[in-house]
Amino acid sequence: MLTIAKNLYDYRELMATLAWKNIALRYKQAYLGIAWAILKPVSLMLIFTLVKSFVGIDSGNIPYPILVFAALMPWTFFQESTSEGVNSVTGNTALIRKIYFPREIFPITSVLTKLVELGINFLILAGLMVWYGMMPSIYILWVPLIIAYTVLAALSLAFFGAAINVYYRDVGQALPVLLSLLMYASPVIYPLQLVKDKLLVQRAAGEWSDALYTLYTLNPLAGIIDAFQSVVLRGAPPDLNAMIPGAVMIAILLPLGYLYFKRAESYFADVI
Amino acid sequence: MPVIEVNHLTKEYRLGTIKSLKQTLLNTGARLMGKPVPERRLFKALDDISFSIEQGEVVGVIGHNGAGKSTLLKMLARISTPTSGSVKVNGRIAPLIEVGAGFMPDFTGRENVYLNGSILGMSRREIDRKFDEIVDFAEMAEFIDTPVKRYSSGMQVKLAFAVATSIESEILIVDEVLAVGDLAFQRKCFDRMEDVIRRQGRTVLLVSHNIRQVERMCSRVMLMSHGTILQDGDPHATCDRFYQLSNQSIRDQKAKDSSKRIISSGEVQNVEVAVLDQQGNSTDSLVEGSALRIRIRFSLNQPLSNPEFHVGTHTTDFVYLTGESTAVLGQSHGFTAGDHEIEQVIPAYPLVPGTYGIRFAVIDQRGRVVFHGESLRFFNVAAKSMDAPLQDELRLVGVPVQWKLQGTTYSHM
Repeated sequence: MLTIAKNLYDYRELMATLAWKNIALRYKQAYLGIAWAILKPVSLMLIFTLVKSFVGIDSGNIPYPILVFAALMPWTFFQESTSEGVNSVTGNTALIRKIYFPREIFPITSVLTKLVELGINFLILAGLMVWYGMMPSIYILWVPLIIAYTVLAALSLAFFGAAINVYYRDVGQALPVLLSLLMYASPVIYPLQLVKDKLLVQRAAGEWSDALYTLYTLNPLAGIIDAFQSVVLRGAPPDLNAMIPGAVMIAILLPLGYLYFKRAESYFADVI
Repeated sequence: MPVIEVNHLTKEYRLGTIKSLKQTLLNTGARLMGKPVPERRLFKALDDISFSIEQGEVVGVIGHNGAGKSTLLKMLARISTPTSGSVKVNGRIAPLIEVGAGFMPDFTGRENVYLNGSILGMSRREIDRKFDEIVDFAEMAEFIDTPVKRYSSGMQVKLAFAVATSIESEILIVDEVLAVGDLAFQRKCFDRMEDVIRRQGRTVLLVSHNIRQVERMCSRVMLMSHGTILQDGDPHATCDRFYQLSNQSIRDQKAKDSSKRIISSGEVQNVEVAVLDQQGNSTDSLVEGSALRIRIRFSLNQPLSNPEFHVGTHTTDFVYLTGESTAVLGQSHGFTAGDHEIEQVIPAYPLVPGTYGIRFAVIDQRGRVVFHGESLRFFNVAAKSMDAPLQDELRLVGVPVQWKLQGTTYSHM
């Protein structure tokens, strides 16, 4: 644990430079530049809002567009940092074959890069809140913690995926499919409250309801998205019950993923 | 205490490709069931290598392609992990394994200097401090804010070299980077390397195919071949050994490539050419300056009166060297149908060490070529002593000489 922290500290400048490289590279020669970072969640928000007007989703007392945008922010961050992280090792073949530094820098940097884009989206969120006349409460101080937790969730997938992807590029192909499935299993389009009502209040699945709800919240994104919406929009503390199963999951997956990555790391240069 | 210590280092690679996920799963299944699984063959890139390098040594690593040089450097730079054995490195190591790794074409020269510098382990402050010197050395001041993708390849390499050599590390690993840019810049690179080596007293590992450069710069040279260290020590002796080895393999290759060229009317058959040693046994090689004895056996299917025999030697690329004919003898011999044997002896074959071919021709009394064959047999001329093989590139024949120096006469065979 200490060596990990020391490594990260020793290589902080490299990570900063690589993150800057990723960002700069992405928007070089792109006319819209960094605006692309907000285009994706904003356009998804508009589409979901349109869809919502047909199917009717109960968003409680919060306007649906801002609710879905607040869900899309952590979701897009998670989705993009995971897929960038998974492809980060195979995408840096030239470096891996020529120079040594701890390889976990690649997935970590990818996730850090996405933090910058997440930051830009906060500006849009703030704009929406002003538009709808919403005031942030004291609970907004939870935000950094929630984001840090999202980073860990993305990293645990990225470590596994990046290492396996070196041997089998199938992972890189399968990941977008898996992630889009995961989006429907996460409270992005609909609020978590709907799932809670269905399972815990109406007990739609009978005696299996509690188990099903736990299974649902094993997905760390369920807790993350709901918590993010709560602290930013509802002015309420996060629903810790919805977060615990996911947190346990990450607490197991992250060390395993990291160890697996470190074990596979020494053969990257031979195999890649 | 040695700076680099390598103990029984072995690196194996599996030949062939990684199979698909499906095949891997099937194989794992089969292995669990205890069924045999086809294993990919192993290739030993490094085979039980041990050595150590002390502080301040400048070690050259030479060897033919695929000898394991780059694999060794990768192990030292921690890019790859040994299959068995250990590598201990004490100190910061800067691998210049191929310059320009990680240059981003879309970035400007300035951005790439910072990016590449930090990839190679320099801190931002360090790069700030050295930036002007780097740009100055690479002669890039004018283009430093232009994207690297607009650079010529020479410009890219110059900039990359400048960045790479400005790292301050105790150990420097250099793989084939000195041959960059035009002649003037190569000279500059060379001087910079010499400066790094001589003045700063760093430990350097230099891999190069430029043997003369290695010989000049290094205090110790390792010769690698097929994953093992063949010789390790004095630069001059080791480089000489390498020259001999590669000359030998060039000869072998040439001899293999040039096949027999025969024109025959059919009257001469079963031509068998042999080189004989002093005891009359067939041999493949002789020592420089000793007798060359060629025996040719052939059979005639009809009598041939007063033929002319022509026996000569040529290089592997068909430069005719000797070629003596029986016509000058003025003697006439009648050859009946059947088997015959003739011999030609050159008392002191003067050619320098190398591989040579034998040419044989039969011409009848009317001047018609009955048989003509080249490369009928190859033989090697071996060096008389191990020293001065370099001389061979500067001469074709060795002759006895006399020298007069300050009134004294010396004879040399």
